[in-house]
Amino acid sequence: MSERTLIDARGAFCPGPLMELIAALKAIEIGEEVEVLSSDKGSADDIPEWVAKVGHEMVGVEEKGDHWSVVVRRAK
Amino acid sequence: MSDKPLYILLVSGEREKLQMAAMTASVAAVSDRPTEVFVSMNAILSFKRGLPPEERYPEGGGFFAAQFAKASAKGGTPDAVDLLAQGRMLGGVKVWACAMVLDMLGWEDDDLTEDLFDGRLGLTKFLADAESGDLVSF
Repeated sequence: MSERTLIDARGAFCPGPLMELIAALKAIEIGEEVEVLSSDKGSADDIPEWVAKVGHEMVGVEEKGDHWSVVVRRAK
Repeated sequence: MSDKPLYILLVSGEREKLQMAAMTASVAAVSDRPTEVFVSMNAILSFKRGLPPEERYPEGGGFFAAQFAKASAKGGTPDAVDLLAQGRMLGGVKVWACAMVLDMLGWEDDDLTEDLFDGRLGLTKFLADAESGDLVSF
C-alpha cells in the first residue's frame, strides 16, 4: 500500500482544501498519496477536476457523514 | 481549463473582488496556467506592509460584503492576501504593483506586503504582455 499523508481541511472553504492538497503533494514522492478531509462540497467536486487537469491520479472520493475524503496519488 | 496565460487587473478595494481575484489567480496558477496580477488603484491599499488581516479590507460595500465579512470573521475563508501569496508559492503567480499608484501614494517597494510582489510595473507593459492571453479585471 502507498504511503499516505492525511490533511484535515475540514472547516476551510474553497480553495483552501485544494491549496493544502497541492502543498502536501509537493512534499511527497511520486507514487505516494494524500488524503484530504473536507467539509466543503465544492472542493470535493473541484479537486478531481484539478487532478485531471494537471495529471495526477484520483484514488477516490467518499462522503463520510459531514465531510468528504478525497484521496490523490502523486503521478509526476 | 485553457493553458493560455491569464492576466488579472485588480483595482477594486471591495473585499469580494479582492477575494475573487485572489481565488482566480491562485487556482489558475496551480492548474498550470501562467498567471499575472497587476494591482492598482484602491486595491493596493490592502497590500500595505504590516497590516493585520482584520484591517486589510474596508468596511461597507453593501449587503453581500457585510455578510461575507461576517462569514469570513468566523474563519474558514482563506484571506485574499494570504491566498495570493499561496498562489505565488505553489503556482508561480506573478504579482505586480502599479508604478503610477505607488508614486501617487508615495510608497516605496518596501511599503508593500513582504515577499508577495515581483516588482513595480507600468500599465503599458502589462497590457502589452496581456495581449498573449486573457485579461480580466476585478
